[in-house]
Amino acid sequence: MLAERVSNFRQTAQWRRSLDIWVPAGILILLVLACFFGPFIFGLPGPNAGSLLDARLPLFSAGHIFGTDAIGNDLLSRALYGGQISIEVGLGSMLIGFVVGGSLGVIGGYRGGILDIVIMRLLDMFLAFPSIILAFVVATFLGANEINVIFAISFFTVPAFARLARATTLQLRERGFVIATRLLGARERDVLIRHVVPNVIPSLMTYGLLTVAIAMFIEAALSFLGLGIPAPQPSWGSTIASGQQYLSNAPAIVLVPSVFLFTAVASLNSLGNALRTRIESQ
Amino acid sequence: MSISMNEHPHSLASGEHLLEVRDLVVEFAVRERSGVKGAKVQAVSGLSFDISPGETLGVVGETGCGKSTMARAVMQAARPKSGEVIFEGQDLTKLSNKDLQDVRKHLQIIFQDPFSSVDPRWRVKNIIEEPLIIHGAGNPEEREKRVTELLDLVGLDINIHGNRRPRELSGGQCQRVAIARALALSPRLMVCDEAVSSLDVSIQAQILNLLIRLRQELGLSYLFIAHDLAVVKYLSDRVAVMYLGRFCEIGPAELLYLQPLHPYTTALLDAIPNTGGHPSKHHEELGIEAPSPINPPSGCRYRTRCPRAQERCALEEPQMRFLAPGHGVACHFPNNSNTSEPRD
Amino acid sequence: MSDQLSSRTTDSTAAVNPVQVDLAGDRTSSGAPSPTLLEVRDLRVNFHLQRSIVPAVQGMTFSVNAGQTIGIIGESGSGKSVTARAIMGLLPKKTAEVLGSVRFEGKELLDLSDREMRQHRGKNIVLVFQDPMRSLNPTMRIGTQIAEALHSHQKITRADAHKRVVELLQMVRIPSAEQRFHEYPHQLSGGMRQRVMIAMALSCGPKVMIADEPTTALDVTTQAQIMELLRELQRELNMAVVLISHDMGLAAMYTDEVAVMYAGRVVEQATTKRLFKHVRMPYTRALLDSIPSLDHPSLEPLSVIKGRPPDLSALPPGCPFSPRCHFAQHKCEESPILETTEDGDRFACWFPL
Repeated sequence: MLAERVSNFRQTAQWRRSLDIWVPAGILILLVLACFFGPFIFGLPGPNAGSLLDARLPLFSAGHIFGTDAIGNDLLSRALYGGQISIEVGLGSMLIGFVVGGSLGVIGGYRGGILDIVIMRLLDMFLAFPSIILAFVVATFLGANEINVIFAISFFTVPAFARLARATTLQLRERGFVIATRLLGARERDVLIRHVVPNVIPSLMTYGLLTVAIAMFIEAALSFLGLGIPAPQPSWGSTIASGQQYLSNAPAIVLVPSVFLFTAVASLNSLGNALRTRIESQ
Repeated sequence: MSISMNEHPHSLASGEHLLEVRDLVVEFAVRERSGVKGAKVQAVSGLSFDISPGETLGVVGETGCGKSTMARAVMQAARPKSGEVIFEGQDLTKLSNKDLQDVRKHLQIIFQDPFSSVDPRWRVKNIIEEPLIIHGAGNPEEREKRVTELLDLVGLDINIHGNRRPRELSGGQCQRVAIARALALSPRLMVCDEAVSSLDVSIQAQILNLLIRLRQELGLSYLFIAHDLAVVKYLSDRVAVMYLGRFCEIGPAELLYLQPLHPYTTALLDAIPNTGGHPSKHHEELGIEAPSPINPPSGCRYRTRCPRAQERCALEEPQMRFLAPGHGVACHFPNNSNTSEPRD
Repeated sequence: MSDQLSSRTTDSTAAVNPVQVDLAGDRTSSGAPSPTLLEVRDLRVNFHLQRSIVPAVQGMTFSVNAGQTIGIIGESGSGKSVTARAIMGLLPKKTAEVLGSVRFEGKELLDLSDREMRQHRGKNIVLVFQDPMRSLNPTMRIGTQIAEALHSHQKITRADAHKRVVELLQMVRIPSAEQRFHEYPHQLSGGMRQRVMIAMALSCGPKVMIADEPTTALDVTTQAQIMELLRELQRELNMAVVLISHDMGLAAMYTDEVAVMYAGRVVEQATTKRLFKHVRMPYTRALLDSIPSLDHPSLEPLSVIKGRPPDLSALPPGCPFSPRCHFAQHKCEESPILETTEDGDRFACWFPL
């Protein structure tokens, strides 16, 4: 006798799928808006406008929701203005890496030969140094300000992007449509611009998010060491540094900028990973 | 092996052929498994053939025989080591990349995998328009008109398919787009490198019919390369059978099938599964493994799998001889063309 | 038995009236009916995707006895590979809903857990794939890989396993088997690799072999050799073989019975002799006609099946082949019922040829 087979098939929920993208993306959007518009909207005092009378106020004090630092500056204000700097540095060094590094990688990967070898060896040299040390050396030579910090961190982002762009280009070079376009009579330049670059950019973009996180972190580390954005400019790193000695009695000075840094870096990482998974599974 | 002009009774004077290939040799470096570097493989060892205007030459051979390498060498996508490729009177091997650009208008290629031969991020109408833009043909309106024409020619509709991307197309449709693109600049010779091999059977028939129709309407010539003998025979005026970088036999399609002269041709024909008959046993004699092009057998390359191989075959490489008008074979002991029975 | 089955199949679009067909009658040389090794009844597979349910297989029914070969022929999207994987229990549990029945020697396979199924997989029922390069581990020597298959199903010493592997390599006619044992897959040609796959499949003496496009990636001469090898091995081991392919020529030469699939359904099923003598389905006829055979006159247009292979997530109502059928009429918007002739052949068409 054939017994009836009952199928106990269950379908997995689908609405959860996009959460991994929208949650970190939402957090980042909020962060950017807060940093650039927050001080104006909330009428916060300037990052260096504090007086010693209000030094080391704890969280949730009147007029200073996140408290104040050792010389009375509002911590929320310092965090938001510092965020502006971090975002600018992060984006700036990422963009330089993307454009310069991406171009070098594509050209080297497509041409091959001596050009490729020279470019890659040169960039490998920079990549071999720990990024923080490299940035520290450059910043020391050039002097510490925001532009120089961006420049210094670029010594890391340019080789990193170049590597990735080159690998993708090598794969693309063998793809039928690149060969086919050449055989249609296109010049090398046309092939690169019209076909190779548009197909390299997507993979660079997801990597870009992760790079911003790394750049922000390096900036914070540099500033922490006193080698980046000089005090009294509000950087997350320098604020953290200034709060070290007050960790026991006024922990907010360290914690507030740390939480901001952590949120930014973690969100960028999550978003970058989520996008990469999404692209790879297509 | 070279076909001496004297032995080819129907040879036309140079310049009347659309394509003349002479003693083509293509090599590339290979790393031996034992780690010895610098070993060279001759994927194509001295190939010669002609294609007249409006003619289709089919080239059939198994994996590793070098037919795809030959196609690329003709296109100069991979530069041959030696030999001549004379297209419309010009030797392509002597032209610089820049000069080749102009020639490429008349010489096009269709690849096996349609999806990787087009940029996945482009839309169909841009894909087809691209060759027109590259060669500066016409203004945007004229180009759009031409694209519409071309899509129509291959059986697609600009309003339906024009805005789609390759991933929204089927294999057959994508191959049609590749064909339309290749036709944009009115080529005279199309190289089809396994152009239908990766398509479904029912779609294969559609594309083959399309190729035939285009040939009639546009007066195209084809160099049609495939491993399926029936497909090649169906489309071609003449067929060449290739083995380990050389031609074993070349002749009119029907004749090759009815009276094959080379034992390898016979083996290929016998191995094809058919819907009516019974399996024949010739393929058993072929032995298990084809020799690799890295170390080909001395003398006749086919001798290690040939049921008739004798001493002479190991010592002397057979040259292409024309035993009947237009029907040549490179074998010391070809099938006796007088007594071989017509195939049923 | 058949009443229970047909009353249950309310949502399958091809109602099945399985008449118990005695396939042994006109086949085996011994004359005595051989045992039915594999019996598939009304197999249905639905894939639950993000936005839709794709019915990949709808109502597949066949049975194979020892020493017989059934061919499942179809193009891409016909559901033939999905059928093979469903039988082997290899479909992803999260997205594939499998209904119907697959019985091996009377035991229902679809209800087994993965662990229980593993007892059968590789031992009693084996699957040979299309592309051996993808199913062989490139970093392991072939001898070791085959031995691995042996070890996973029986307790056997390494020395005995080695001997058995060499025996198997010889069985699939690989020359210098002792030396080949130590080679890696990339050192072998396509045909040799396929032989290794077959050797691995045969290692535990299976009763049923499912070959999914075993020769599609091979040259025509190698294909002929491999198919002959399979035929001989089948005779020696008295296996049942399910041959999955798109090649009608192979079906004609190497099968006893053929089932033609289109869009997940069986559209025609008959003994090979009868099928090729009298084709009933327009699709089967069209498929045969569109293949250039050596007898076809050159350059005469092939009769072509217009349109393209079906999109399983958006099938038209009624017969799935109707948009492309030369003979389609109004009635074809109603799903044709799978009919059975007195010989046991089956077809689903309102207007058979």
